[in-house]
Amino acid sequence: MPSTSLALTPGLSSFLKSLKSNPIDTSIENLISLLKRRQICHSRASATATAYLLRSVVSLCRTSESSKLIERVQSVGRRLMAAQPREMVVGNIVRRVLGLIRDEAEDDREAEFALSESESQPQTPRAFDDASLPLDRDSLPLGAERSTRPPLTSMFSLLSHPEPEASLPSTPGSQSPGGHNNFTKDLRAEVLEGINEIIDELGQVDEQISNYALEHIHSNEIILTHTSSTTVQKFLLRAATKRKFTVIHAESYPNNHEVTHATVSGNRRDDDELLSFESFQKPLIAHGITVILIPDSAVFALMSRVNKVILGTHSVLANGGLVAAAGTRVIARAAKVHQTPVVVVSGVYKLSPVYPFDFDSLIEYGDASKVLPYEDGDLVEQIDVQNPLYDYVPAELVDLYITNLGGHAPSYLYRIVSDHYRKEDISF
Amino acid sequence: MKQHQRRRRLGLRRSVGRLWHHFFFRESTLSPHHATQGPARRPSTTAIESIKMADSVDPALTSPSTTAPSQASPNPVAENSPSQSLPIRDSKSAKQPAQSEKGTSKPKDAPAASSTGGDGASDKPLTPAQLKAKAKAEKAARRAKEKADRDGGAVAAGGSAPDAGQSRPPNTPKKDAASGGASQKGPKGAPPRRGSGPVTQASTAVEPKKKKEDKSVSVFSHLYGQQRRTTVNGAAKEVHPAVLALGLQLRDYVVCGSSARCVATLLAFKRVIESYTTPLGTSLARHLTTHLSHQISYLSTCRPLAVSQGNAIRALKLAIAGIDPSTPESSAKATLCDFIDNFIREKITVADQVIAGSAVEKIENGDVIVTFAGSNIVKQTLLQAHKEGKRFRVSIIDSRPLFEGKSLARVLANAGLDVQYSLVHAISHAIKDATKVFLGAHGMTSNGRLYSRVGTALVAMSAKERAGGVEVPVIVCCETIKFSDRVALDSIVVNEIADADELVPANPPQQVTGLPDPAAFTAPPVEPKKGGKGASAAPTQDSSASARTPSPSPLANWKDTPHLQLLNIMYDVTPAEYVDMVITEMGSLPPSAVPIVHRMSTNI
Repeated sequence: MPSTSLALTPGLSSFLKSLKSNPIDTSIENLISLLKRRQICHSRASATATAYLLRSVVSLCRTSESSKLIERVQSVGRRLMAAQPREMVVGNIVRRVLGLIRDEAEDDREAEFALSESESQPQTPRAFDDASLPLDRDSLPLGAERSTRPPLTSMFSLLSHPEPEASLPSTPGSQSPGGHNNFTKDLRAEVLEGINEIIDELGQVDEQISNYALEHIHSNEIILTHTSSTTVQKFLLRAATKRKFTVIHAESYPNNHEVTHATVSGNRRDDDELLSFESFQKPLIAHGITVILIPDSAVFALMSRVNKVILGTHSVLANGGLVAAAGTRVIARAAKVHQTPVVVVSGVYKLSPVYPFDFDSLIEYGDASKVLPYEDGDLVEQIDVQNPLYDYVPAELVDLYITNLGGHAPSYLYRIVSDHYRKEDISF
Repeated sequence: MKQHQRRRRLGLRRSVGRLWHHFFFRESTLSPHHATQGPARRPSTTAIESIKMADSVDPALTSPSTTAPSQASPNPVAENSPSQSLPIRDSKSAKQPAQSEKGTSKPKDAPAASSTGGDGASDKPLTPAQLKAKAKAEKAARRAKEKADRDGGAVAAGGSAPDAGQSRPPNTPKKDAASGGASQKGPKGAPPRRGSGPVTQASTAVEPKKKKEDKSVSVFSHLYGQQRRTTVNGAAKEVHPAVLALGLQLRDYVVCGSSARCVATLLAFKRVIESYTTPLGTSLARHLTTHLSHQISYLSTCRPLAVSQGNAIRALKLAIAGIDPSTPESSAKATLCDFIDNFIREKITVADQVIAGSAVEKIENGDVIVTFAGSNIVKQTLLQAHKEGKRFRVSIIDSRPLFEGKSLARVLANAGLDVQYSLVHAISHAIKDATKVFLGAHGMTSNGRLYSRVGTALVAMSAKERAGGVEVPVIVCCETIKFSDRVALDSIVVNEIADADELVPANPPQQVTGLPDPAAFTAPPVEPKKGGKGASAAPTQDSSASARTPSPSPLANWKDTPHLQLLNIMYDVTPAEYVDMVITEMGSLPPSAVPIVHRMSTNI
């Protein structure tokens, strides 16, 4: 019974299933409408859908030139972003794919003219990256970037040694000399490989973030969190394997309280879409962690006993601010007032190269019937009911970001942005 | 010894008088407005004045059962009070059809109200004996049946243990009003059954303890007293029916809000005093106090007493103690009733008018006023400002689980104000274009902090720390009767824990539209008598939850889930630095003036 309903509900899983059978234009239209109808609405779901779609776009794009490929991805990306401008991860993934294509193109060009020179370039500018993680791909764009534009050197290059890594998976393409045809084939193949790595990263980002959990959560702490973010849950679960602490969970009432209730009590619904691509996990309470569910209004009252606030987010902006579920801002503010540290856990894919000037444009408004139920329908005509879905939280309210690359101060985020996105793609 | 006591009291009074003088002169320089108005108003309690008062008291009260009979004797104006307050009551009940506890006990209040009202119409001591006998028989049969049911259901129940205690209320609406009324008076009218009352109570009280683990949040463990009373069973025999009814109304938030609870309590006590006769061998001054303390302890088991209730009771006890033992009983009772009327008038009715009057002056054209939940005094202020032709916008922030702002939004919207409504998650959006924040209070602590509905502190904090850097003035409207001598640093020291089951989202919306519950079709063999017992239905629901597509709520059996706790606190404490001004009937003060004013006003 659940399997049939799963196939019928339009969403991420149905989209991914149809991606193989449908022609590419249909799939693009399909994703656009899914985004528009908010049938794919979580950051990760949107990012995954975008990455998969771009992978098939690239693989089906029968072009020999990188500029045409870029153009094609740009046009698809523009349409996707126009479909849901506030879902910034869509743009982030598109930008990363574009950066991937540009890097590969530049690599190839270099290989043609100065093969030996490019090989002597430092390959791992980020020394702290775990080599086992599939993040090595990030090193490629940086290395290539530096070779073309020397003024934009990373600070890490000061410390890194100029020794090439022979085991890099994507290097053989550039090493093999060949004709022009061979290059374009390799270009596409490598871009596809890069996209696959992005997809892998999306799948593993929570695990990577949770590796830092034990550094930040200690025994007998009282942790406050808000809404049901899988990243936060996994972070806490990892800490729960070693430590005993208490979690206070604010329910984020009108928009996400049902999922939050399900998360804290462990009674997830069978038809939950998130379940399809995230492994079934035990709730925190199964690990012996005391979870206290409170209404959002009680946050201030309890904040004086809280040791740490751990928040999930919708997207992170380059200035260190973040767009997160409505209610996050007062929680962060209350934490600031009580001198409680605020930790935001977020995958790097949520980091967006956007500097916000008009905060209101980032905020999306949701269903008013969640605030005033059907029984109070008479009131709706007389009064103005507001249900914002997101809050903008300024950077000064956040003490620490934990991404899959480690912990960062909010002021450092701009640097990660410039590591991940190329300047020419920021506003494409 | 008695003389000694009296002398001491006199001495106290004298010093109080001195304090008052001291205060009055100082205050009069602060606020000439009130200094001139106060004395002018007090003597002129004309008929028109009293009409006004009845008008303003009753909506606050929202309990026709207690107002109608007690007010009927002094002035006939109160005749319209039930019709006035009924719509509010209805809207309240419509507001929360969701809460299971409320839904079940609601019908119970209705018969109680009608029965006490009927008592007031006929003469009260003469409750028909045959009616009582009939009710007694019915009740005994019902109780036997319930006991059998509960024994069957409670074993499986576990999680819905408190509900089992409430399995009685759903039955009462089926009986006629008489039996409902009798069940209210059961402990009083039927002494033999009093023995059985505590027994059933004890059995229901034991059930929650059978759980494997304590569900109380450890930080708040000092606040978990006994569970709130679920029935009138086991109430002391001295408890007056009006107080019994009031207790249930307080418990179910039918009478809600600090001043409304205070007024309702005083009016109920007035009825207690009216029907009181001093037993032989004691004096009124000594015995009435103990008689009242029975009522008070009953009320506090229904819901912990509000600050205002405590202050009012203290004043009443002082008045009782001040009565000369030689005074004849009838005149002493009349004095006390007058005292109560005056107290309500001075401390709440007129105080509200004065506060609203001076708060209205703070509202300017074009203002955007943010308020939190549903404060009666803020409502009065906004309505009066609108009446005076000021053009402003109101943004109401509301919160789970009580949704008190909804009724405020309804009243304001009906009056033609421009109202915006959002929940607590949208505070930062609502505060963005605010120009003033008006807050009601449950109490003010002696260190100047505001003790009010949980979430108030978030609103005040957001107003003070807005992104633009411009602070929004936070104005608290509060009668001095809500001032307390307690101090609180944070919301954990002083608070009230409400039933955590209120946080569990209630039934799915298909019940609202009147469609038959799908479970009724899927699981009739499992549960043949579902309609009869709302409470015993809960355990079987869990078994059929997997079969049903929209499962009730993930939290439905949270009490059986280990390590999961729900916390439903009622109040929080707003730091004094977030409050710019406290508007009281004695003028507009900074929060630091609370202890001074409290000393003045409680000692008068």
